Amino acid sequence: MAREQIFVGLEIGTTKICVIVAEGRHDGTINILGVGETPSRGVRKGEIVDLATVSDCVREALLDAEDKTNVEIGNVWVAITGSHLRSFNNRGSFILPEDREEIVDEDLQTVEINAKEVALPSANSFLHTIIQSYHVDGNENILSPVGMAGSRLEADFHIIHGVKTRIQNTLRCIESLKLGIEDVVLSSLASALVVLTQQQKDLGALVIDMGGGTTDYLIYLDGAVRHSGVLALGGDHITNDISIGLRLPIARAEVLKIQEGSAADPDQVEGGIITLKNDPGFHGCEIDRKALNTIIHHRVREIFELIRNDIEAGHDGMLSMLGAGVMITGGCARLRDIAPLAEEIFDLPVQLTRAKEVGGSTQTFENPQFSTAIGLTKYAMAVSDNQPEESLLQRFAQGLGGLFKRRS
Amino acid sequence: MKNILPKSVLVGIGNAGVSVLDRIAVEHPSIKETLVINNEGESLSASVTSRRIAFPPCQDGDLSEGFLAIEEEFIAAIHGAPAVIFCGALGGELGSFLIPALAARAKADGITTLASVAVPFSFEGRQKREMAAAALRKLHDLCDGVALIDNDRLAGGVPSTAAVGEAFVAADRALQSSLLALRGMLSTSGPVKITRADLAASLGIPGAMTHFGHGMAKGANRLHEAIEEMLKSPLLTIAGKGSALKEAATVLLLLSGPSDLSFAEVQRSVVEIERVAGERCLVKVGVLADGSPDDPLEIYLLAGSGGSSRKTTTPAVTKSATQMTHSSPKSAEELPPAKPQATLGEAREAKSKKSSSAQQTQGVLNLETYQRGRFDKSEPTIVEGEDLDIPTFLRKGIKLVSPFRH
Repeated sequence: MAREQIFVGLEIGTTKICVIVAEGRHDGTINILGVGETPSRGVRKGEIVDLATVSDCVREALLDAEDKTNVEIGNVWVAITGSHLRSFNNRGSFILPEDREEIVDEDLQTVEINAKEVALPSANSFLHTIIQSYHVDGNENILSPVGMAGSRLEADFHIIHGVKTRIQNTLRCIESLKLGIEDVVLSSLASALVVLTQQQKDLGALVIDMGGGTTDYLIYLDGAVRHSGVLALGGDHITNDISIGLRLPIARAEVLKIQEGSAADPDQVEGGIITLKNDPGFHGCEIDRKALNTIIHHRVREIFELIRNDIEAGHDGMLSMLGAGVMITGGCARLRDIAPLAEEIFDLPVQLTRAKEVGGSTQTFENPQFSTAIGLTKYAMAVSDNQPEESLLQRFAQGLGGLFKRRS
Repeated sequence: MKNILPKSVLVGIGNAGVSVLDRIAVEHPSIKETLVINNEGESLSASVTSRRIAFPPCQDGDLSEGFLAIEEEFIAAIHGAPAVIFCGALGGELGSFLIPALAARAKADGITTLASVAVPFSFEGRQKREMAAAALRKLHDLCDGVALIDNDRLAGGVPSTAAVGEAFVAADRALQSSLLALRGMLSTSGPVKITRADLAASLGIPGAMTHFGHGMAKGANRLHEAIEEMLKSPLLTIAGKGSALKEAATVLLLLSGPSDLSFAEVQRSVVEIERVAGERCLVKVGVLADGSPDDPLEIYLLAGSGGSSRKTTTPAVTKSATQMTHSSPKSAEELPPAKPQATLGEAREAKSKKSSSAQQTQGVLNLETYQRGRFDKSEPTIVEGEDLDIPTFLRKGIKLVSPFRH
């Protein structure tokens, strides 16, 4: 049963830093109390490149959230992304001792440890070990094997790992503000928690969270995470392409992308001229709409094709099994005509989506930009409901090798 | 002296080869068909193997002289053997030269030739790894199968705090196990056996990565425990990807040890491997149950994945000792791998011809600069060799209509 508890999700994004303060409800839903937000500086492609500047931005966003919610923030759940994050599926197995036939809780931990006995690059550390399914003596897809009779327990896990020092940079930034860190969560995992319903997770869905600096994606199938990945490409690349292609300042290119841009095939839509007016320091000009859309279309197409190729390389045929199709969220989900392009690339139905089963500030959860931060609070609630605090700490120690300590 | 050896001969070359065969001599005294060759007298005199050949010092570093000096003794040692399995580390002068050279010689006598070789750790230097790569290419052309122990992959199984010596011990252990695996697989007979064709199909692919595991257990649960230990081998995982078996098309599995090994255990072992490797993977199993019931069950797994293409022909190798060549690290790279048996004279001729006829052509330096804009000072996003920070339309060469300025 959910406890009434306040959870704070912090996303240090490439274009914005946002803090969601939410309350876990008894019925399992979350109620957003407020959001603190500030433009991000010192972050490139989802990773911190200027620690001091980012710390200042995070402080600003936290104060904004505290002002709006009247909640004093002490601990946060943090989203993490970046091209250094990698994932794979692995199976752990455990043979029960001959004098025991019943599977106990400790056996589940043992198979998880066995599944993690793989050679990671020395600089990397485990971020998540997500259970997919258990198997007992060849009986596949057992949901809860504890108490069952068996001689061999196996379990499939989706394992996510990343470069320890890069993860530490995010943690250091937060710790410099004397904040406690509850846990670090993969951005796409957090997003998927709020944009997918349980039915969609069972049917199979690809969630694409297209942000400013990165595009994170994750596949749920049969209720479990099957694949995840991060591309260090996002909306900033589209803006940069426009800036270079049309010789516009970055700020102008960003506005043009939001106001006029479309991912549609430029040969399939009407052209025309977009007039940019004079501004101080900027001479107005006329832009060919087809040129603008060509730039956007090819970049977005490339990102989707890279995702498709990565999934097909790892799991041939998996895309065709995704009954619920593709869900696009994140800031770029608001780009015009992005859904038809995704439909063409993935050959699946596509929805532009946002956080679901969330109450409170409508403007917040209806904006796909906040999916990750809202997802963090949902993740927090799920973990808090399922695990006592002690085991959470243990998980920190195991998962990130003591990268950080909880604030006392 | 008894020259005819009825079983496969294990040949250890260099310090690593001697070390591995010494361990085998101590831990498996029943294996007597061993031979070590080294150019370090101390190592040889301390060796406990039954047969030792001293590789003589060579003037000007020309190891082919040494080869000629030991050739006859080597031929005598392997005479009549159905197969020779070479073992050693590539990357050093002796191993990189002598293993391919002797492999070519053995092959010329129509003997099945296999090799279990280690390539250096990255920290041992680029030159060593390049020399090893060149020697490895030759071996792939000459041998029926090559089990490659990549020390860098092995390092994944050694704690990062471990002493350097421990890493090398782990490398020697892996080399020893893979050598025993190859010997065991060649020794299988009867209905459940691994053929030379199976070995060639799995380990004969140039450039392929070898995946290797070894597990050992006794008692009622021996099969599961041995498999569990085997699957934890660092050479059965690919960094960041998980189990390497998922990428292997064929897996060779050897169950060796107690005479009471049951049919059900063999069957179960295949099911377990298929479970990890996937149903598309072909598991070839061999059984060598000639030990006493008290012996531990040992399971060895060898598989290959990746690589260029399956070789279709074996280069013709003649018997003449004078047709062997010694390639320095540089020339090993220059000579085409398909002609490792070129004579010294031919090699010299080719070299002089190359230097005289080589026409220097000036390449065109690509001066076209691509703009990365705001990502100019960022870590580049490189996917399949392409810098994705450069606008897509630029990389694809798409022309745009320029904006009209007022």
